[in-house]
Amino acid sequence: MKLLDKIIAPVDKALERFDPVKKSEKGTGGLRDRYYDKTGVAKWREWRGVKDTMVDYAAWLNNILAMGQMVASAPIPILKGFWEYRWMGSYLGTFMFIDRLFEGFRGPELKIAHMNMHAIVQSLTKRIAFALKNDARFGGGPDTLNIIPYDETISPLWLMGFKGLYPFPMQTLPEFIICDIDQHIEPYYIDVAESFGLPADVCSRCAAETGVAIDDAFVKAGRVMLSTNMPCNASESTSMFQRRRIGLPDFAVTLAMQHNKPEALPYSRATLEAGIKFVEEHYGVKYDWNEFFKYARLINEQNTIELEKWEYFKTPYSALCGIAETLYRLYEWQSVNGAEPHFNRNDRKVIKIMRKCYEEKHQPFGGKTRHRAFLWGPSSVYYCDFPTWIQNCWGINIVLNMDSTMGYNMINTDDPDKAMDDLTKLEEKATMRHHAVGGWDNYNAVWDWAKRFNCDMVLMNDNIACNGTLGFHALMEEQARDLGFHFIFVEHDLQDSRTISRQEMRNCVNKYMSVVLNETPLDPTLVEFDDADAY
Amino acid sequence: MKKFMKAFLKVLGKILLIGLIGFVATFTLYITNGENKLIYYVVRPFLNKHYDSQVRDRRI
Amino acid sequence: MKDLKHLIYFENLLQDAQNELVDQAKAAGQYALGYNCYYIPEVLLNLPGCFSSRLRAPRCTSTDIAGYYMTNRSCPYARSILERAIEGGYNYLDALFGAESCATMDRMESHFFLINPVKNDRFFVTQVDPPMKGDSINLEYYKVQLRVKVLEPLKERLGVDVSDEAIRTAVEKHNRLCRVITEIGSLRKLPNPPITGYEFHVIQLVSQVCPHDLILPYLEETLEELKTREPEEKFPFRARVVLVGSEVDDPDFTKLIETCGAMVVADRYCFGSFPSREQIEIQEGETAFEAVCRTYLKWNQCARFMDGGKIDQRHDEVERLVKEFGADGIIYENMKFCEFWSYEKVLASNIFINERHIPTCTIEKEYALGAVGQLRTRFQAFIESLEIKQIQGGK
Repeated sequence: MKLLDKIIAPVDKALERFDPVKKSEKGTGGLRDRYYDKTGVAKWREWRGVKDTMVDYAAWLNNILAMGQMVASAPIPILKGFWEYRWMGSYLGTFMFIDRLFEGFRGPELKIAHMNMHAIVQSLTKRIAFALKNDARFGGGPDTLNIIPYDETISPLWLMGFKGLYPFPMQTLPEFIICDIDQHIEPYYIDVAESFGLPADVCSRCAAETGVAIDDAFVKAGRVMLSTNMPCNASESTSMFQRRRIGLPDFAVTLAMQHNKPEALPYSRATLEAGIKFVEEHYGVKYDWNEFFKYARLINEQNTIELEKWEYFKTPYSALCGIAETLYRLYEWQSVNGAEPHFNRNDRKVIKIMRKCYEEKHQPFGGKTRHRAFLWGPSSVYYCDFPTWIQNCWGINIVLNMDSTMGYNMINTDDPDKAMDDLTKLEEKATMRHHAVGGWDNYNAVWDWAKRFNCDMVLMNDNIACNGTLGFHALMEEQARDLGFHFIFVEHDLQDSRTISRQEMRNCVNKYMSVVLNETPLDPTLVEFDDADAY
Repeated sequence: MKKFMKAFLKVLGKILLIGLIGFVATFTLYITNGENKLIYYVVRPFLNKHYDSQVRDRRI
Repeated sequence: MKDLKHLIYFENLLQDAQNELVDQAKAAGQYALGYNCYYIPEVLLNLPGCFSSRLRAPRCTSTDIAGYYMTNRSCPYARSILERAIEGGYNYLDALFGAESCATMDRMESHFFLINPVKNDRFFVTQVDPPMKGDSINLEYYKVQLRVKVLEPLKERLGVDVSDEAIRTAVEKHNRLCRVITEIGSLRKLPNPPITGYEFHVIQLVSQVCPHDLILPYLEETLEELKTREPEEKFPFRARVVLVGSEVDDPDFTKLIETCGAMVVADRYCFGSFPSREQIEIQEGETAFEAVCRTYLKWNQCARFMDGGKIDQRHDEVERLVKEFGADGIIYENMKFCEFWSYEKVLASNIFINERHIPTCTIEKEYALGAVGQLRTRFQAFIESLEIKQIQGGK
């Protein structure tokens, strides 16, 4: 390996002038140089040195292969899907999305980022093919009636005890994941909902889900649907529209909002048990605890590895950080939750690299990190590739996102009674609701998390339509002041980038960094640029 | 043996050649960001035109 | 119509949260227990030695300080309550029983213990986690919540008697008040009612914000008066409507609709009498507390309920009111930034217009009635359309 390094060193030296990170170090350019204005389309791909360019190239090929497999596994349904669903077209932006996310990544952090991303691509492509193959709109397939459509904010683990049935998160394909890839897709569905009288001041994510329902753009499959009260008021309300338009028997999985109180557990548990009974009745399949334990072991392993990762996150030597950490954990926990063993295989490989990097005291991003930040950020974080941008522009390393702190308790794998309690605790702490509901203590926990991970900064994405966040606006600022954290509210309108553009989001950080902290950017080309027309 | 080696080298040579051509072609596509340009400027506008012309069964 | 004897008195009682009857009860040593939402059964706050006070912020036109805490993009009702609290308007309260019924309500109530705006050493806050379905699992959870967050704190912190006997007594008193209000409200069913929607709104509000023992004699007297009150010679309105939606605690809003020409014949909104004035029947084998929980869960029409049964109940109940009160149409309102009612009004108006064929108008409103020009135009247009429909024989 060292020989190879010696061979490529002169090549790297000769081509250094094409490397945007080196250019920004020398003050001769930066990461934004290679883009056409507004579009987010790069004139050429990032030159990262021979080795890292090859890593990136191989990952690109690998992802193309996964997509090719998806098309090959169900060519006609995939084509029909592209023709029928507007959101399917947006998946073509995936390559551009991945490029944006890992801009400026080098060495082990690039390698891990691609490993994580490829696991997501593999999962998503299989899921898309499976869904379209069994979409009743296109005539259905062998598993159309074996699918259990559920609200994506419920994790699928509790449904894995139904052998032969396939839990399917309804909103993930048309809304949850795709809004990260293409910021222009959800405004279409938001407009559909608003054209029916929905006010523009409600959470845009739920407005988009409502629009998908009204526009009849959900995949059609299953015998029932499982809605939920998670995570917030608007998502409870949009369920009414989805329930009505999808027209299947519905069970609302309403878990306790005050999930840290002792009286919550029996209630949430009883609700999950009633949900299991509901599925049993409608599908004629008995819940199989042994089947459940099989998957519980997988999520236990995922969470065990996650907890080890956290130990590295606390140090300056974590090769996994930023978008590669947050997006992966979000998807792995919320959408997979033990249901896909290849995520475990990936975790095992990733943790090995992380251990090695820690031993070698490898500092990510060339040791250019100036601040360590805990992020509280939802979808808008991804479509504006926020953690990547903030690292490259200002040297702020996103150590952990709130999405990563979801349920991490272990599940008992031999006693159904104990397992049910553990499962309930896990489910109650799903995406966003872990901190956003249940009162002040849960919300205020952000500072403890930041402290635990040795962060000096907290970045809070301030969804202009999120009643939960708005209600504690001033208190959070006061807390930051009292506890001595750098604190930035990053205004955004979640899935509607027309209200607050990506540049306006970035400006919230730019202003704080330049005016309050009086710092200069690492890469000046990233401070102000127009990417309004980018996916 | 010699004949086998010759055939083997020939096949290997072909595989390497195909591999090289494949590498050059895909790497060129990769480094020039070709597929994204095609998607952004050609495929998506075409699909969007189609989606905009769809008559959807919109109701609550 | 001749003015109601106590109307001006009632209107004056609504000018401040801490009105003269509240002062009287406090002077008599009673505990003032605040609440914001129907999820907190009023009857449990009227146990011996206590009285309930549903929080309003009358005449609150600016929410500058609350806006600092909660931003100006959050529900104006919640903001106004917080503003009033910071101004010292609720210093008479001994406790606030909140509910995490919506995020904004939760945040607003949290400020009551985080920034301590109520200057009363005894004051404390609890918040229930309210159920979202009408089934037995949720009923059990509701009971647990009310026991842990209402009864136990009342007993432990204020020494209130929360025995079954005490709750039974409170239920009896509550039922008496409900009977009076229901009887008054039922007069609105008449073709030419001896009461206006505005007057009823005032009466309903005083019954929620004043100590029951003190307001009841006035209400009973008003009922007797109404029984013999001569209505206008001819029904003075051009249409009859049911008002449905979120928080409406300003009777001037009802007045606004009525000055546009439609009588508000039924009030199905937060602070309205549907639900709130249903009597509690204690069934055999049931404790009084269980009966309270069952009744409140049964009648609760909050837009946050998610199960099909409760969603359908919401719409069936409005349709029942339309039929029983002879309404020509429905006005759905939602407080600005209220997500639950924003969604519900879209769904319900679609159901009523397209499936149940009842004319429906939807509007969004602020808490304080300021610039009402646009609303007036909307109401006038809606009422005109109802009139045209009547002229055309309902076609």
